[in-house]
Amino acid sequence: MSALLDIAGYSLDYRTRAGTLRVLDAVNLRIARGEVLGLVGESGSGKSSLAWAIMRHLPGNAHEAGGAILLDGADLLRMRPREVAALRGRRIGMVFQDPSTALNPTLTLGRQISETLAHHRGMTRAQAWQASLEALRHVELRDPEALMRRYPHEVSGGEKQRVVIATAFAARPELIIFDEPTTALDVITGARILALFQRLRAETGVGGLYISHDLALVSQVADRIAVIRRGQIVEQAAARSLFVSPGAEYTKALIEAVPRPERRLVADLPGTQVLVSVEEIGVTYGRRQWFGRRQVAGNRGISLSVHAGEILGVVGESGSGKSTLARALTGLTPFEGTIVQGGRRITAPAQMDRAYRSQVQIVFQHPDSSLNPRQRIGEILARPLRLFGGSPAEVPRLLEQVRLPASYATRFPHELSGGEKQRVAIARASAARPALIICDEITAALDVSVQRAVVDLLLALRREHGTAYLFITHDLNLVRQVAHRLAVMHRGALVDLLAVDAVGGAQAHPYTRALLGATPAPFA
Amino acid sequence: MIELLRQLARTPQGAAGLLILLLLAAACAFGPAIAPYGPEHIDFLGRFHPPGARHWFGADQLGRDVLSRLLTGARSTVPTALAATLAGTLLGAVIGTASAYLGGRWDEIIMRTIDAVMAIPGLLLALLVVNTLGKGEMNAAIAIAAAFAPGMARITRSVALVARRQDYVGAAIARGERGTWIVFREMLPNVVAPIVVETTIRVAFAVMLFATLSFLGLGAQPPASDWGLMVADARPFLHQAPWMIVAPGAAIALTAIGFNLLGDGLRDVLNPRDER
Repeated sequence: MSALLDIAGYSLDYRTRAGTLRVLDAVNLRIARGEVLGLVGESGSGKSSLAWAIMRHLPGNAHEAGGAILLDGADLLRMRPREVAALRGRRIGMVFQDPSTALNPTLTLGRQISETLAHHRGMTRAQAWQASLEALRHVELRDPEALMRRYPHEVSGGEKQRVVIATAFAARPELIIFDEPTTALDVITGARILALFQRLRAETGVGGLYISHDLALVSQVADRIAVIRRGQIVEQAAARSLFVSPGAEYTKALIEAVPRPERRLVADLPGTQVLVSVEEIGVTYGRRQWFGRRQVAGNRGISLSVHAGEILGVVGESGSGKSTLARALTGLTPFEGTIVQGGRRITAPAQMDRAYRSQVQIVFQHPDSSLNPRQRIGEILARPLRLFGGSPAEVPRLLEQVRLPASYATRFPHELSGGEKQRVAIARASAARPALIICDEITAALDVSVQRAVVDLLLALRREHGTAYLFITHDLNLVRQVAHRLAVMHRGALVDLLAVDAVGGAQAHPYTRALLGATPAPFA
Repeated sequence: MIELLRQLARTPQGAAGLLILLLLAAACAFGPAIAPYGPEHIDFLGRFHPPGARHWFGADQLGRDVLSRLLTGARSTVPTALAATLAGTLLGAVIGTASAYLGGRWDEIIMRTIDAVMAIPGLLLALLVVNTLGKGEMNAAIAIAAAFAPGMARITRSVALVARRQDYVGAAIARGERGTWIVFREMLPNVVAPIVVETTIRVAFAVMLFATLSFLGLGAQPPASDWGLMVADARPFLHQAPWMIVAPGAAIALTAIGFNLLGDGLRDVLNPRDER
């Protein structure tokens, strides 16, 4: 059978100030007609570079060190820019990770999709407009006529991604490259997009390259899976057999690191003493304007409590108010309601004194922005020690506690990897031995293998100091491994608060069950 | 720092700017020592001597050597302009960062005040300050600093607003840090790069503003050989002895160009996007 796309011994280098960096090393991949190949790798493995190499849109410092990329037997590397331009969008389509940046904010959606059609299928404007309507209807968008007249910021993220997908499919390409198309979306929205993709694929028989870091997700959409690591294809096999009998050690480690809800990492029960409780917490965003007020509710009437040594998972889609709750608890945003801690009632951020702050600490999602780039690790860690009555001499102890060498104290944050930065952030939060650490999506920006190590670290700290965690995440599989109880949030309100083993039960809120249903289950 | 200079010297603008500024620094450091005559050495027989072997840049209405006066004057002109700019920059940077940190109503009050001050042209504001404080070099420097601060505050604020949203600022607040610590230690170091670039460009304006004030008789006072003052002194003899005005004028222009080039070079070097 002739391959639709045949990548043979393809190598790619980036020339940087520090020297030449090999990002793709003799990659061999074949995609047959109508086949979907999943490409799985951690960040920096070169998977996106491969996508751009196929699209022939590489940065200026890229240098192709050999090999060929054949589309239907024609080598893309030897094509003139004109021929490549005729190919893009027409024969090879692409769906990007973030739909909010993939669409031009100054053009209406209708204009963007119909122009693509007019260009690639040689239609007149009126024809293209009609075909666009049809394409949008096809991706299950309600009221396409109205949608065509809207601008990207006027529709939701899921709708935007549907428009992008509709555009990619409407030109009837032979191959579509998906670059993490659901990563920027909510679990439920992502699951629907995935279902849509399955349907369109069955209808059109298009070939696909599906790039993702999420092994569980790729196993649902791809026929075959290739695992890439540091620019080299480690293993490729049929989706099913890859999971049942992985060949390479790296693949095994990857599969092992995928969180499985049935495998609990925490065995003991929390204490009965209430550490912190919040009563009727509400947060509104948006500022008072000269005329009238336009405000959005971030949180509405939330009441819950965290017990000593407890891991309370907070789950919900993006925009459900999980992070707002964290910000209210740490005094980063004004709130209504009361926080009760150590017998004191706090009703405003100004009342949070040193005693409260030393007990309640936070770790943020993005390791890159949570450490001041102009301060050395030692300075970053010495600061909370000095504030909360420790001595800077304890910095090596803190580093050791998060399994980092003491020599890291003299380094700057940019010299550390993402996982290492997150460890420093955890060390900073735990410096004052707080009773509660709020973990705001701390593993979301990390690779699965690193994610596992960070979670293990949190659990080790808990064993040593009995720290309680408010574990905010959108990853239901992960949180079910560690949490004692789950708080489910939806549109700023707390819809469910239940023990973790009752999540699938009958008394769970319908939304909780919907969330659970949309979470890709790691193959049994 | 050394690495920065090396990268700077690699860009054409940066290299040219560095060269000009080195010459200026040499003039400031050794000017009086290498000057062929004393700056106030009067020679009545050599009045209005055109440029030549005896006086490279000519002589003025009192027979004073223009080159010697330029070399001596560098010491009062360039460092004063630099100091005035730095003072204005520092003041503006602190105000801008604090405004971004405080946010909300305070931000509104500070920024509207600054808008009001910026509505007054820089020179006019400087004139106002000098008129209130009295003539003199020191007061002229203060006036220039006051004229620069609002613009710097605006620029800094826009950068600081981005830094304000970073999680390390949130972590500092959650840790219970005081506002001054957050402004000076967490935020200011991270907004430095664009400020440095803007400062170098503003030094050029400061040299010219300072020259203007001296020209109007409000900055340096005779018989000082400040460049602006030299231009002012030379004005009546423009047709008789054009070199008297050309030499200090060219020196001012060269200084302005030097700092501008340095600023351009720094912008390229400090731009983090150009990491590859």
